[in-house]
Amino acid sequence: MPKVTIDGTVVEVPAGTNLIEAARQAGVAIPYFCYHPYLSIVGQCRICMVEIEGAPRLAIACATPVTDGMVVRSETSARVKEARDAVMEFLLANHPLDCPVCDQAGECLLQDHSFTEGRDTTHMVETRRTFPGLERRLLGPHIVQNQNRCIHCSRCIRFTQEISETAALTYKSRGNHAFIDTFDGQPFTDPFSACTADVCPVGALTIREFRFRKRAWKLRSTPSVCPGCSIGCNLWIDHHERTVYRFTPRENPAVNATWLCDFGRFLAESLNETHCLHPLHRVEGQLHRVSWGEAMRALALDVSAARTLRVVASANLSNETLFLARELFVRHLKGELVVPVHPGEPRRMKNGKGEWLYSRDAHPNSEGARRLGLELVDGERLARFLYGAADLTVILDPTAHPYLSTAEALQLLRVSPTLSLARTNHPTAEVASWLLPVASLASDEGTFTSSGGHVQRFQPAFSPAGEARPAWQILQLLARAMGVSALDLDSPAAVFAAMATKEKGFSGLEWERLGGGSPSTYREHQHVG
Amino acid sequence: MRTVAIHAVPEEQLTHVTFDATMEERISELLTHYPTRRAALLPVLWLCQERYGWIAPGVIEAVAARLGESPAFVQGVVTFYTMFYTSPPARYVLQVCKTLSCAVCGGRELLEHLKARLGIDLGERTQDGTFQLIGVQCLGACGSAPVIQINDDYYENLTIEQLDALVDELSQGKEA
Ligand code: SF4
Ligand code: FES
Ligand code: FES
Repeated sequence: MPKVTIDGTVVEVPAGTNLIEAARQAGVAIPYFCYHPYLSIVGQCRICMVEIEGAPRLAIACATPVTDGMVVRSETSARVKEARDAVMEFLLANHPLDCPVCDQAGECLLQDHSFTEGRDTTHMVETRRTFPGLERRLLGPHIVQNQNRCIHCSRCIRFTQEISETAALTYKSRGNHAFIDTFDGQPFTDPFSACTADVCPVGALTIREFRFRKRAWKLRSTPSVCPGCSIGCNLWIDHHERTVYRFTPRENPAVNATWLCDFGRFLAESLNETHCLHPLHRVEGQLHRVSWGEAMRALALDVSAARTLRVVASANLSNETLFLARELFVRHLKGELVVPVHPGEPRRMKNGKGEWLYSRDAHPNSEGARRLGLELVDGERLARFLYGAADLTVILDPTAHPYLSTAEALQLLRVSPTLSLARTNHPTAEVASWLLPVASLASDEGTFTSSGGHVQRFQPAFSPAGEARPAWQILQLLARAMGVSALDLDSPAAVFAAMATKEKGFSGLEWERLGGGSPSTYREHQHVG
Repeated sequence: MRTVAIHAVPEEQLTHVTFDATMEERISELLTHYPTRRAALLPVLWLCQERYGWIAPGVIEAVAARLGESPAFVQGVVTFYTMFYTSPPARYVLQVCKTLSCAVCGGRELLEHLKARLGIDLGERTQDGTFQLIGVQCLGACGSAPVIQINDDYYENLTIEQLDALVDELSQGKEA
């Protein structure tokens, strides 16, 4: 492997690595605007210029692959500093410098570089060129355009050409007047449209849903996995004071590179829906609030007394929850358990190698359920499963299948006692005899197995709302109340360890090494944005 | 020399463009000269401008479909070049050279004269749709400055009198 010296630090990197990535490994941050690790290299912005020993002129780092013995100077070169200053001056000549009212502030590559390197004066005395009419324009359902801020890096255009393959964006006109537009100004309805705001290094393209709701530096990011389909895109839950503000892509070359589809991305808001906050018990038709202790004591008796026990699990639940459910309800109590699945809209995602991954499965963990040997059923078989009476029906996730909210299903559930976990308002609440408040993905911890077979870990962003608890913990408490000490495992990590020793699908996997990264602030991962 | 008038097909007739056999044949022929379909984009656009008088959005869609590009991409190219008309041009587009050689040899006077005579400013067109006035950069014919290009033809070493005669001729509907 070639060895290069960058600002005095020697690194060895694979042949073909460009100088920006090599420098990253050497701990040197070469600034860039048009370069993006998953887009083609165009060398348009010129901010990444470096000095290479023996070369007469400065070279752009993004388009220069390492060669063995190369000696590169970035921060240590006066020529480089001068050249970058000049580039910045041109980039800022027409830039509105409206950071205080710009929603990108705090995660803007231009602002960052300007702040660290730029000078605080300008030679520009002329009127800045503006784009009246393109200053607050809804480019598509999710994207707001402010063309005045655009630095013409073409990342957004390349994204639609190379990744989403709609080629929906283009420059119109040229030179000083060039602006970003769609064909004939038609709405920008790309299914990955919001990624263009991620790749936009400045505030020219921002996400309508997120604009002005929270300053970027207030957000904390927690690694998680998209609940939208079986592809299992890696994402950050960006949150502040126990509210989820957005999902942003978390880099994983094998799954979603640095992308999210609009559908999955905008599920973020749904994690804030928490309507069920306390355990509730129905007595003479009325729901009464009870404590977890009371609920668990009573349920332990009900569950053990049930001669016929049926459990509706869900492919939205983590491997850990499904494992505990299987061990407790099937192995221990000899009940019957099914996992309903429904196809949902077709989804697709492009991985870091440029290959499309497809899903026709609306759940994040059907593969996990399959690997745990659980019975996956469609709506019709779910209906048959619920037909007839049972001593107790347990619903681990009312949103597991749309069938559960049909009048027919409610009619069937009314016949016998039903225990349901619940987070949002759902019709099953009308018929359940017990409702236990369950945490959202943002307050849960565990793993999902993607359709590609990756076991991926998600972490809790903040503690659950009200008295809600994560599903795995509800099952643990029930096991404890029933005296099943083997299942009284006090963390998803402990459940995972038990699974890893017992289950073929998980053997050899270690919780700590399942990725997920450590919770970090936005700055540490924004380099891909 | 005969300057051929532009007959711009109205936009209503260009909403769903399908290339007829002649166009299709000429496009296919053009494609044989280029390594990729994308590379043939400019000549195909020229062909369309010759045929329809201008590049309507419907034409862009047809070209995009034919060459396997997105309409946005094609429109990006069309708007990059000032010589593609993105709205229906007048029958005669008077392109007055504004660059140095022409300017010092009387180009400025020609321009002022045209403005006064036609009663329009740069970028505008006469009410009857006969003339449109635009300023262009060096036409590469400095040796015979001042130069005006009308549609595809050059008129060189022009005096105001010659220009007037030309405008008379053209406005009488005769093709010069
Ligand atoms: S809108 Fe953003 S991503 Fe697109 S060219 Fe401008 S600065 Fe680059
Ligand atoms: S990042 Fe290298 S030229 Fe833009
Ligand atoms: S300056 Fe007019 S043709 Fe060159």
